[in-house]
Amino acid sequence: MTTTPVPSALEVGTALPAWELPLTPTLIVSTAIATRDFQDVHHDRDRAQAAGSQDVFMNILTSTALCQRYVEDSLGHDVEIRAIAIRLGAPAYPYDTLTFTGEVAEVGEDEVVLEVAGAVSLGAHVIGTVRLARQAGRAGGAGGGVVR
Amino acid sequence: MTATGVPPVELVAPDVHAHVLAEAERIRGLGEAAERWARDEVNQPRIDDWLEAMGVTNPRWKQGEAPPAMAQVWTMYGLGGRPPADDPLHGMMQVLTEAGFTAVLGTNCEQEYHRPLRVGERVRVTTALESVVGPKATGMGVGYFVTSRNTWYVGEGPGAEVVATMLFRVLKFVPKGAAG
Repeated sequence: MTTTPVPSALEVGTALPAWELPLTPTLIVSTAIATRDFQDVHHDRDRAQAAGSQDVFMNILTSTALCQRYVEDSLGHDVEIRAIAIRLGAPAYPYDTLTFTGEVAEVGEDEVVLEVAGAVSLGAHVIGTVRLARQAGRAGGAGGGVVR
Repeated sequence: MTATGVPPVELVAPDVHAHVLAEAERIRGLGEAAERWARDEVNQPRIDDWLEAMGVTNPRWKQGEAPPAMAQVWTMYGLGGRPPADDPLHGMMQVLTEAGFTAVLGTNCEQEYHRPLRVGERVRVTTALESVVGPKATGMGVGYFVTSRNTWYVGEGPGAEVVATMLFRVLKFVPKGAAG
């Protein structure tokens, strides 16, 4: 679902619309399992607490995946994502809200670089750099990527 | 890049530090090791589970292409899987665990997607130890940053194609307040 019109041209500093994702136990657990990550701290609260966490917490593959979703939903489903590099900060626990923000950091010859951040109540959960092809690599892609 | 030099004695005993660095060099020397195949081919049912869990509605991922952020999913060990004995990351983690750095925290994950994976392709992955840097006194405790590199391939032999890579960094540390 694309809720935001794709800008006719992305310029450095162009902000992506903020996106708030309420975190539920189901979301934390189902995403961990869907990424085939069965570490107990992502689905077993007792074990997570025994390991010193307040609750189960989001796994890293999901933090990466949500960066993909945020960029696709913000800029259009035909974006060609070349790389997602994330730094991890505060854990993302159930009953918190993960709020993504982002902006265009670089517009190159064939690439657009976005800086995105996902914050929870404890601070930055994820800080990411997402690199996109400036033109969709797919022949016939509707609109040809993020810069139309 | 591997840490060199003598650490401040108050962080880690010199013999422990020397052992960690020597093991890091040995394991780095293995290069790309512990090659593994994905249990399953890239497949639509698993993509669909991922889309549902993530709330991704992009119809593109219903047409035979896998979402890029799923690159690592295909070669996860799963519920019963264990790393092979020669796995460089697992080996380095063991060295540090045995040296008292028992806790682990993921700090960085940098994935590059060379091309989209398609349903029906079966990937294999190698693991290399990239660097061990430390000791560092962090907010979590004293530890080493361990960076590994995964490379995913489709195909074998001269025609093998790199489809994705990942740099993954963890802090392996002695939790603050732990005895010793």
